[in-house]
Amino acid sequence: MVLKTEKVTKTFGDLLALDAVDVSLARGDILGMIGPNGSGKTTLFNVVSGVYRPAAGDIFFQGKSITGRTPHYICRKGIARTFQIAQPFSQMTLLENVLIGAMWGDGKSLSKGRDAAEEVLDFVGLGEKAHLVPDEVTTEDRRRLELARALATKPEVLLLDEMMAGLTPTEIEEVLVLLRQIHASGVTIFMVEHIMQAVMSVCHRIIVLNYGQVIAEGTPGEVVKDEEVIRAYLGDRYV
Amino acid sequence: MNRTVASWWALAIVLVGVSLMAPLFMSGYALRFCTFVLMWIGLAGSLNLLTGYTGYLDFGHVAFFGTGAYVTGVLMLKVGLPFFPAMFAGAVIAAVIACLVGIPTMRLKGAYFAIAMLAFAEAMKHVVLELDGITGGGNGLSLPIYTNYTFFYYTMLAAVVFTIAVTYWFGRSKFGYALKAIREDELAADVSGVNTFSCKLIAFGISAFVAGMIGGIYAYWMTFLTPDDSFNVLLTVRMIIMAFLGGAGTVLGPIIGATFLASIEEILWASFAYTYLIIVGVIVVIVVLYIPRGIVGLIGEKLIKQYRRKGKSA
Amino acid sequence: MLLQVLLNGILIGGIYASFAVGFSLIFGVLRIVNIVHGEFIMLGAFITYWLYSIFGIDPFLSLPVSFALLFVGGYLLQRFVINRIIEAPEIMSLLLTFGLSLIIVNIALIVWKGDYRLVNPEYAGANLELGTLIIPYIRLATCVFALLAVGGLQFFLQHTNTGRAIKATSQNKEGARLQGVNPARIYAITFALGAGITAIAGSLLSMSFSVFPAMGGDYLLFSFFIVVVGGMGDLPGALVGGFILGILQSLVTNFIGAGLNYIVIFLVLYVMLITRPTGIFGRGLIE
Repeated sequence: MVLKTEKVTKTFGDLLALDAVDVSLARGDILGMIGPNGSGKTTLFNVVSGVYRPAAGDIFFQGKSITGRTPHYICRKGIARTFQIAQPFSQMTLLENVLIGAMWGDGKSLSKGRDAAEEVLDFVGLGEKAHLVPDEVTTEDRRRLELARALATKPEVLLLDEMMAGLTPTEIEEVLVLLRQIHASGVTIFMVEHIMQAVMSVCHRIIVLNYGQVIAEGTPGEVVKDEEVIRAYLGDRYV
Repeated sequence: MNRTVASWWALAIVLVGVSLMAPLFMSGYALRFCTFVLMWIGLAGSLNLLTGYTGYLDFGHVAFFGTGAYVTGVLMLKVGLPFFPAMFAGAVIAAVIACLVGIPTMRLKGAYFAIAMLAFAEAMKHVVLELDGITGGGNGLSLPIYTNYTFFYYTMLAAVVFTIAVTYWFGRSKFGYALKAIREDELAADVSGVNTFSCKLIAFGISAFVAGMIGGIYAYWMTFLTPDDSFNVLLTVRMIIMAFLGGAGTVLGPIIGATFLASIEEILWASFAYTYLIIVGVIVVIVVLYIPRGIVGLIGEKLIKQYRRKGKSA
Repeated sequence: MLLQVLLNGILIGGIYASFAVGFSLIFGVLRIVNIVHGEFIMLGAFITYWLYSIFGIDPFLSLPVSFALLFVGGYLLQRFVINRIIEAPEIMSLLLTFGLSLIIVNIALIVWKGDYRLVNPEYAGANLELGTLIIPYIRLATCVFALLAVGGLQFFLQHTNTGRAIKATSQNKEGARLQGVNPARIYAITFALGAGITAIAGSLLSMSFSVFPAMGGDYLLFSFFIVVVGGMGDLPGALVGGFILGILQSLVTNFIGAGLNYIVIFLVLYVMLITRPTGIFGRGLIE
């Protein structure tokens, strides 16, 4: 297991956001995480990437515990993430944005980092726009920028938070092509997604979260037929 | 190296040359005025190192200036150390204190950090007042007298050149990029691998070191220190305004802002102390409302747009 | 002796609370740190002083005047100046209000000079004596009035439409807007209210402490202490914070030494910020 959470629990005051969540990813997996809004998916990402400390439970990366570690430590170890709403460095060019990832997430020097950043930008299709600032490109481009910055840190595991939201079917296909290429290069992918087209076509397995609990797990085919899942999304009537 | 960069370097060399030779041609008054302007360039520059690059607004920065001043004074007067070691010690101690204060305080967000630092500076003032056995408290501290004003000019100039060099390095180094990332979005920086905690502290320490160094020079130059003068919040205010007016996060910003404001102050101070402060207040309001990126930012935006247009048509 | 010290602290604490609630309210709703706060206190104090020394008007009667003038002034200031940067990062409002503070203080210095003044009505020296405790009437009266003002503000917020709109805006701006609340108007009214009640506090302070143009600075710091300890944006918390500060100062001044006041306050503030930035009741806002 390259990434494993054991009984991870997170509370915010009275609110139980994550309830003893167990997730495991094997190297080379593409794991999808779905669930109604507010079910705790982004919170889980925040806990795994070190932004939040779990109230209980442990997270293991490549066999070693990373519970309670700082986000930058976890990033350098090999877990990268994107944000649901892209958070680029708005006063820096696209190249400089990715450069941060290459220098600080991957340890490259300024000059080698620039080369690496250019390569990553080309890979995601933003090569031509490298010298523009985030305000000057489209929302979709900013999402790709998030992805590029995360990739520049040379991760083993990539946490993607709703990369496809708001994209047209063509754009979704383009991103899926990218994801398959990234996967082919050896990166394990853990993605939160609402767009079923994407989830069904690219994920090996899916876990379903509802009210902070894992309510189903399995192949895409198994999960869509699962009673609990249908109940969570559509209510008792449709089970 | 393209032509614009070459011409900037040429300008810089000319300026350095002029400033090196200036004392030969200046009267005592002009010399003191230039030293005064240099001091403010250095102070605004030191604040800029932290606030301009990380976005953390240090409303108590004067504490490091005052610490440098008092440590230098006490070491020279009571321990008999010569000036340069005393000044260096003052700068180092200011940096250490900054790191200690920074560890808990830098967890705070924007305005909270600012006011916590303000409270810190006030507390430091009172510490100095209370330790009157060592510092002379409210009666002040007198340093050994040295009236070679040319010496102070060159020392201040050296300190300023150092500050500018560090600022320049901040602008184009790996470390500097980390700071800018912290300024833009600290969380995104963290998850991209930037050790925000240590980078912030290092920047804080460096900016305090510079302020402390200048405080030490100031102490020897003025020969007499009081807690109220050395830990006065108005000094921090001026540093902030100079850095923002000129353009925070740039090399030229503090230079422009400090020269401009220090000149106005010199003209108005003697006769119209309060008027000067009102003008400063008005400048702040205007800058915040209409030119938040400062003069350099204003010019910079125009230049960048021109550059991009040229690039597109090329 | 201890009882007297504590009592002194409580009496002062009431007034401290009254000038902190305005600061807390403004932060809670507008999310800005208002440096001009100190000047609201100063202006309120001067209004009382001038009304008393020129027209002989009893200080307590000047309270409504103080409130009214600063309410209007605050409304205009927010509506036409501060509102322009309300969406910008916090640093901007901090700097802007600092610039405004510089302007106001120095105009006051030019017009009124830096002399220290005191409002000294004839009944100033009279004391109430309960056993060994001495309670100056002035202190008692100002404390009572301060608490009345805070109570009035709280009543306004809980039981009037405007007040409820203010509370709604502070909790959820977008939600409030969807319910028909006009945020710009709410911001202006809230700021005006904060200014007004702080002016009252300044007027009350003028009867016990020196009045001079630069007086606002210390009280600003005290306000910050109070709202951090009590919880930023939480009115009952500001009340408690005010009493804590009053008592703390009284204890330190009497048993350790006046000079250590600042250092102790700073240390307590520091510890609070590090360990429990949401204040003793945990209801403070930290963003």
